[in-house]
Amino acid sequence: MLITASARAAEVVAEMATRRSGTLTVTIGTGCCESTAPFLYEDFLPGTDMEPVGSVGDVVIWAPEYLRRLYPGDQGPRIDVADELGESLSVETELGVRLVLRGSGLDSTGEPEECAVPSATVRGPAVSRPVVGSIPPELQGLRLR
Amino acid sequence: MADFKLFIDGEYVDSASGETFTTTDPATEQPIGEVAKADKEDAKRAIQAARTAFDDGPWKGLSGEERAGYLDKMAELLTANAERFAEAEARDSGGTIKKATFADVPGAAGALQWFARMARERPDRQDLEGSPFPPSENYVRYEPYGVCTGIVPFNFPLLMACWKLGPALAAGNTSVLKPASYTSVTALMLGEIAQEAGLPNGVLNVIAGPGGTAGEELASNEMVDKVAFTGSTEVGRRIMQLASGTIKPVTLELGGKSANIVLDDADLDIAAAAVLFGTFFHNGQVCESGTRAIVHKSVYDEFLSLLVDRAGKIVIGSQLDFNSDLGPMVSRAQADTVRRYVEIGREEVGEPICGGSEPEGLADGLVTENFYRPTIFAGVDNESRIAQEEIFGPVLCVIPFETDDEAIAIANKSIYGLGGGVQSGNVARAQAIADRLETGTVWINDYHMISPERPFGGYKQSGIGRELGTAGFEIYRQAKHVHTNPSTGRDGYMHFAALSGNI
Repeated sequence: MLITASARAAEVVAEMATRRSGTLTVTIGTGCCESTAPFLYEDFLPGTDMEPVGSVGDVVIWAPEYLRRLYPGDQGPRIDVADELGESLSVETELGVRLVLRGSGLDSTGEPEECAVPSATVRGPAVSRPVVGSIPPELQGLRLR
Repeated sequence: MADFKLFIDGEYVDSASGETFTTTDPATEQPIGEVAKADKEDAKRAIQAARTAFDDGPWKGLSGEERAGYLDKMAELLTANAERFAEAEARDSGGTIKKATFADVPGAAGALQWFARMARERPDRQDLEGSPFPPSENYVRYEPYGVCTGIVPFNFPLLMACWKLGPALAAGNTSVLKPASYTSVTALMLGEIAQEAGLPNGVLNVIAGPGGTAGEELASNEMVDKVAFTGSTEVGRRIMQLASGTIKPVTLELGGKSANIVLDDADLDIAAAAVLFGTFFHNGQVCESGTRAIVHKSVYDEFLSLLVDRAGKIVIGSQLDFNSDLGPMVSRAQADTVRRYVEIGREEVGEPICGGSEPEGLADGLVTENFYRPTIFAGVDNESRIAQEEIFGPVLCVIPFETDDEAIAIANKSIYGLGGGVQSGNVARAQAIADRLETGTVWINDYHMISPERPFGGYKQSGIGRELGTAGFEIYRQAKHVHTNPSTGRDGYMHFAALSGNI
């Protein structure tokens, strides 16, 4: 497994290095609402089954054994940046961005180098759409307890 | 100016920095409002409020009956405001109004009621019979930890907020909650309920903001006594490390890649519904979704036909329409993740037998890229990425098997162990399989049936501890053994024999 990073990901990690006094580490982790994703932590203790799989500047990227097995060879995904709110404890979320993985480890040539989130999203005044219909009768009597 | 403010020490307040972030309707990407953006200082402020409320306020001195009264009142108020909460939940999270109405709001109120019952029925003091050291008298006091923080994911923000505040408050703790940034609104609205219920100031605090600052503080601050988190396995690992600084107990409900086993004696009509509901409910954004269907070879082809036929009938549309079965994913980023894994699936397995793209023909104004069709890959190798990694989207992997032993081995071949199902016409056979599954919950001829009254949590890397049930209450209080020696005079003590009669 070999993970690379986009230029923008390197910029974000470098920015966080100026904001945090501890040692930064990127770990590739999994599960639940993050799916498989990179996490940038300060003073993180890698698990015993983790090994380095790349770097972002001076910051080492670690991945657990089972993920390394799923992404053999040197065509691993690339770490990039999404301009979206972050759910995790990943420290770059304080910048209002989130490190993400792009590419499948197979062929990412068609993917954008930078964030795929369009920046042209309209941010006008709050918009409220109406609710349509009503709860189906079969669910009306349901009592969760 | 924030439309949705932080709830700290009984009041709605702006963040210390004055910063906000925009929360949007994921179906349209149009703004819903501005949310106060908490940073480390706001987290400290909320923790201090909870600390003061615990140390100096009336809360921990209340009886279980009195604490239960507050929780019941909050449940009553939540139910009275059910339509408003359901609409806000659907609008903010992308979950359907149908789900919010029948599951999220009543489930949240039900959790508060259940933990109210726990506070009433499980006494703070238990006298112990007999004595290992006669004539001593012994009892156990069950005491709250103090300040309990809860970090809540985006998929069930209101429900899981109540899963965390309910037992914490019922046991006499105070609480600081942080919902996910995408879906902060309904958890913040709980402050209104707390105010109206007359909850003492500081007992419940809710902040919204990035996990990298506010969340880190909630897991590490020395004034926090216990941390509960629902979310990714990697963040769970991080929380354990942050909490270890002051040996805080942690409750973690983490990832899953649950197996739903369809035996050859199953009622395929019901089993297909259980697999579709088990996978595609809330777009698969459920930790215990049964995203691996392990199907007996003798019924495999027939079952696939049923799945494909019915998956195509699932209605995708505005989450605010009661006719919609599925709305948008929670965010563009989550939809991108699904697209990435479907491409991985195409390389590993080939074309999905249904889905594999965004839906067509959505109503005007809906952002097609944030929606995704129910997608099924057949003939999946359990060792593949799409079968091993949690996608958290509407993607089902179907894996064939021949023997029960093989099905169990496939199901257990995962780092996770959160949920699972067995679909069978033979309950004894299904239960024998359930006994051997390494997972916290097994549904037989059903799926996703989670009740506040039953424990929920994970084996292996799916978590630590249990939420809900009696276990989910007890985990929020600690036992103190009090030993009393009623003797008078030297005869009633063993000290003199154990050391010296001269002491």
